[in-house]
Amino acid sequence: MNGSDGRTTQFEQRVRALLEESVARVDHRVRARLRAARRAAVEEAARAPRAPWWRALTLLPTAGAVAAALLVALVLWPQRMDQSLPLNGGGTAVLEDLDLLVEAESEELELIEGWDRGFYEWAVAQADSGRGTSG
Amino acid sequence: MPDSRTYDRSRALDRFLAEIEVRAFRIAQIALRNEDDALDVVQDAMLRLARAYADRPPEEWKSLFYRILENRIRDVQRRRSVRSRFMAWLPGRQNDPEDEPDDPIADAPSEEPSVVQRLQLDEAIGVLEGALRELPRRQQQAFLLRALEGLDVAETARAMGCSEGSVKTHYFRAVQSLRARLGDTWP
Repeated sequence: MNGSDGRTTQFEQRVRALLEESVARVDHRVRARLRAARRAAVEEAARAPRAPWWRALTLLPTAGAVAAALLVALVLWPQRMDQSLPLNGGGTAVLEDLDLLVEAESEELELIEGWDRGFYEWAVAQADSGRGTSG
Repeated sequence: MPDSRTYDRSRALDRFLAEIEVRAFRIAQIALRNEDDALDVVQDAMLRLARAYADRPPEEWKSLFYRILENRIRDVQRRRSVRSRFMAWLPGRQNDPEDEPDDPIADAPSEEPSVVQRLQLDEAIGVLEGALRELPRRQQQAFLLRALEGLDVAETARAMGCSEGSVKTHYFRAVQSLRARLGDTWP
């Protein structure tokens, strides 16, 4: 209590004394509940001792996820930048994309129709060799 | 079985909480005007301190505890504010029972030196509490932490999360307001 004059100090002392009195008059029921709360808190502190390495472990998944996200971003960023650049002009890039699409579609069709490229190549070779021997 | 370090820390924490629990309850009770709410926030502050800060140096506990307590008091006040705004919409609702003054019979003192003394003290404490409740929250907080809990300016600043200059200002204004309010009854 730091009053600037004697009167203030006296006033503050009186307030403090009354507040102390009000603390002393807190009833037993409330004190019992506060005691129970304190015991629960102390038990909680004893039950969950924290160690620095354990705290660090709890942060590992988060740190790992962040690191992985950064890594993926770093890997994808240049590719995305490359794709966004026009190759010999925009038209060429579009045509190349279409070629890739058509090739992919034809391969898919071959698979759907059960076309076995190896078998047909072998059969053609057999036919060619038969023609050669008979001719 | 707990090791000796854990045991020592538990004992220190127990001593610390035993030392402050009743004062903390009074501070919360003056702020919240409700015994059950005050008990709840003190209990919650104790648990949070034990869970999160028991490893910190004991000399930091007081500031940390009162910071936690203040946050919890503010949470309760905010919830009440929202609830009272909501309840105001309901028809036939006049007052929230929690807003009514404390029942003097329920707050009966544990020790009774004499009937006259008790009545005088009751009256003086009641007037003081009324004046304290009228203070702005930060002034009330600064005043109670300094006058009731006995924190110094630096500890109060840490507990309130503000500068030492702000603490001095809040405290000075609180004293001025209390003097203006209680000056007639306290010559």
